[in-house]
Amino acid sequence: MDGVMLRLLLPALLFLSTMLVVARCDDHGDRSDLVIVGGGEVFTLDPQRMSYLRDMRMGGALYEGLVRLDLDNGGFKPAAAWKWDVSGDGLTWVFHLRPESRWSDGSPVTAHDFAWSWLRLLAPDTAADYSNLFFMIKGSRAFWDWRQEQLEEASGGGEGIDGPALWTEAEEHFRETVGIDVLDDYMLRLQLEHPVPWLLDLLAFAPASPVHRPTVEGWPMEEVRTDVGWHQLDPPPWSSRRFVDFNAKTGRLQQDHRWARPGRLVGNGPYILDAWRYKRDMRLKRSPTWRDPDGVRNNTITTLAIEDPNTAVLAYESGSVDWINGVNVDYRADLVEMARSGKRDDVHIVPAFATDFFSFNCRPELPGGDLNPFADALVRRAFARSVDRSVIVDNVTRLHEPAISTLIPPGSIPGYVSPTGLQHDPARAREDLSEAGWLDRDGDGKLESVDGTPFPVVSLLYTTNTPRYKRIALALREQWERVLGVEVELVGRDTKFYKNDLREGDFMIARGAWYGDFGDPTTFLELCRSTDGNNDRGFVDERVDQALDAAAMERDPQARMSMLSELERYLFEEQVPMIPICQIVDVHMYDPTRIEGITHHPRQVQSLWNIRRTDHQEAMVQATAP
Amino acid sequence: MKRGGLPRMIVTRLMQLPLILLAIYTITFMLVWIIPGNPLEKPEGRRPPAEIVDAMQARYNLDDPVVFYGDYLSGVTGLDWVLGDRDGPIIDFGPSLRHENWTVNEILAAQLPVSILLGLSAVALACLIGIGAGVLGAVRPGSLLDLGSLLLALVGISLPAFVIGTVLLVVFAVHLGWFPVGGWGEPGHVVLPALALSLPFAAYIARLTRSGMLEELQSDHVRTARAKGMPEYTVVLKHALKNALLPVLSYLGPATAAAMTGSFVVEKVFAVPGVGTHFVDAVLGKDITLILAVVLVYSAMLVLLNLCVDVLYRWIDPRIEPSGTPA
Repeated sequence: MDGVMLRLLLPALLFLSTMLVVARCDDHGDRSDLVIVGGGEVFTLDPQRMSYLRDMRMGGALYEGLVRLDLDNGGFKPAAAWKWDVSGDGLTWVFHLRPESRWSDGSPVTAHDFAWSWLRLLAPDTAADYSNLFFMIKGSRAFWDWRQEQLEEASGGGEGIDGPALWTEAEEHFRETVGIDVLDDYMLRLQLEHPVPWLLDLLAFAPASPVHRPTVEGWPMEEVRTDVGWHQLDPPPWSSRRFVDFNAKTGRLQQDHRWARPGRLVGNGPYILDAWRYKRDMRLKRSPTWRDPDGVRNNTITTLAIEDPNTAVLAYESGSVDWINGVNVDYRADLVEMARSGKRDDVHIVPAFATDFFSFNCRPELPGGDLNPFADALVRRAFARSVDRSVIVDNVTRLHEPAISTLIPPGSIPGYVSPTGLQHDPARAREDLSEAGWLDRDGDGKLESVDGTPFPVVSLLYTTNTPRYKRIALALREQWERVLGVEVELVGRDTKFYKNDLREGDFMIARGAWYGDFGDPTTFLELCRSTDGNNDRGFVDERVDQALDAAAMERDPQARMSMLSELERYLFEEQVPMIPICQIVDVHMYDPTRIEGITHHPRQVQSLWNIRRTDHQEAMVQATAP
Repeated sequence: MKRGGLPRMIVTRLMQLPLILLAIYTITFMLVWIIPGNPLEKPEGRRPPAEIVDAMQARYNLDDPVVFYGDYLSGVTGLDWVLGDRDGPIIDFGPSLRHENWTVNEILAAQLPVSILLGLSAVALACLIGIGAGVLGAVRPGSLLDLGSLLLALVGISLPAFVIGTVLLVVFAVHLGWFPVGGWGEPGHVVLPALALSLPFAAYIARLTRSGMLEELQSDHVRTARAKGMPEYTVVLKHALKNALLPVLSYLGPATAAAMTGSFVVEKVFAVPGVGTHFVDAVLGKDITLILAVVLVYSAMLVLLNLCVDVLYRWIDPRIEPSGTPA
């Protein structure tokens, strides 16, 4: 009988032991100098199309804009431009490019590269998420509208659209009307509609990075020369450009993004793309043509796409991951607790340049034609004053985020003084509500208006993809029901449905969040402009629009900041289109004794080339030694 | 047995395949189209102006279901290629709507082999564990071994994959360090996910084998074999096991299909870049081209796998009448 069992088990044992042996013999020698998990799959490596943080982080490593944020000291550092001059009125900027900068194929980086890339950024064909941030460049908004009109007219004509001819005309129009001028190969002039104090911030932003035209358009290899810039070559006919063509229906220029692949992508940053496997990993390696090799402190960086947050933490614990950028496990609050009590030094809490808030629907009517009580600012104030944020951040999310009552996280913008906003004040809240006409008139414990209409059941819309917002919504319901005596109904929806409801204004109160893009108050406050594309609240106030316009025209930086501060006070102490809850925090995991160079910039910008593993240094020196 | 029954069955089934796929395509297309939302819209971030949204919709034919249906069909069937559009692959599933950097063909080419390898390893492992445990249990019913195999079955069937997966990770990857925590590309990456995926199948196979063996061990031919003085292992392995495995074999067809398609949770826990996770993401993100491609490919695989199982039946036991053969 024992023999039988042995025979039965033998194959199984053999199979398992072979796998074990194979696994044990695995050569982990090609582990990158730095392994990161963070933020999910990269969406695009086309800088003009970028809008996710994780994409922009990669963009910063593969490309280099004119300037770069100085993460250690604040302010800006020269990057592709080694210096710049500003005219006295702040409207004309001249950038001097480094003649020694090279694309990763060896060709020179010139002013033409920037001009062409910004044409991509400002043309509606690219469908860049951030075009409108750059509309302060002279003539750029007009160019956008002109191109839209040109295409619409052409597609209304009935006969076939000549896409290339329209595009050539558009390029010509761009050169003539938009304030981006190539003075010579290494001098670029930028003219603005109005002074823009945050211009350098925008130029350091990934979407303003240059791309290499022959690569992006897919010029035939034999026509590309690396000893001169592409502007000295004749562009090949459209039919032989591999990665662009024109839509037969709309006439728009269409991009095929397969240029952004290992072996093809040409960048001007410290790294080149070594490998990119869909939803697996992305590997960067040091660029052979980078102008400052000594400034790059690691040879290779791998970003793993581990979607399960728990697995990411386990991978970190096992040592195969060096840095988790955005820990998202259910027990995150416990990790934060351990960090706060000093039990773990590898959990880092980083406040982001971002705010969690709840939006009021400010439209006079709800989609069904029902009266909307939140069209009245008094009611909105009452609801805002009923919220006890400290309970939410300390007991509900347990991440101890900075509780804030303004949209812009206080202290996040140098030179900007945040107003106070509406604090927790239940008594005032009840007063506001009665002043708005909502009182318990018949003693049934419920609120009625003058004509006896009961206060409608408040529907509170939140997203269900993380438990975070359900928990906050539950807390808000409890607080509003207790303080104001209203009835609140929770509506949890999947992101897709939620976005749909937001767009159609089909909600009374809905969760929202905003991440600032540049270090200026307007990156948040423009959200309250009546025509803003992200004004989910349907909040329309001429005074706000006028104040934003006036601030844009103000030449004195200090006066401008106080104008914006006053605007934020008006918005969040009087109008209250949304209730700010807290500044969003990110949780990172890395061992500070093993890794240096990770910065805690509120906009999560990182200089990847500056990060190194200290325990890895010896091995790296050996690897780079000849 | 009717002569020519088997080849005829195979031909009939293969001829039915395109019709089945067309029906599946049409139904899936209608279902996917009515999911609300726009696949080109990013889940977070800024909202593009309306005219840009319209233009992008037009680019991917999202403004016209009829055009989309026809366009996709002619790409998938290779009609485009036949008609002279030789730039792309013969069977072209188009670009992914959610991941503009990748075509669906590239995504499938990268992920399908992963899911298939993982599924097959899991089924192989399930057979080893399941048949081993089943036989051991049946040889000594009521013993500790039998109890052990019962326990294995209970655990395998009742514990969800994310629990088993996490436990395996914590024990074998984090504490013992024998295997990497997640990812794909080295042989060591297969072991833990295959084990986690195999347990429910192993449990079922163990129960099937055990009951089959118990029955066989009581049967006349086994008693005869024993009476002839054959060694016990020959009796168990040759005479009893062969017959006891028939139900296991019939279970293997659907089990293989299920292991290759149903590894969603395991793939997620072990960060395995297979089709499962991303199929779920595709549905959530309304990535129409990717959803249709995965549904079509998996449907074709299922039909072919079922055909294989039927052929295998006939081969093992010619008395079995294959389904799909005209009587």
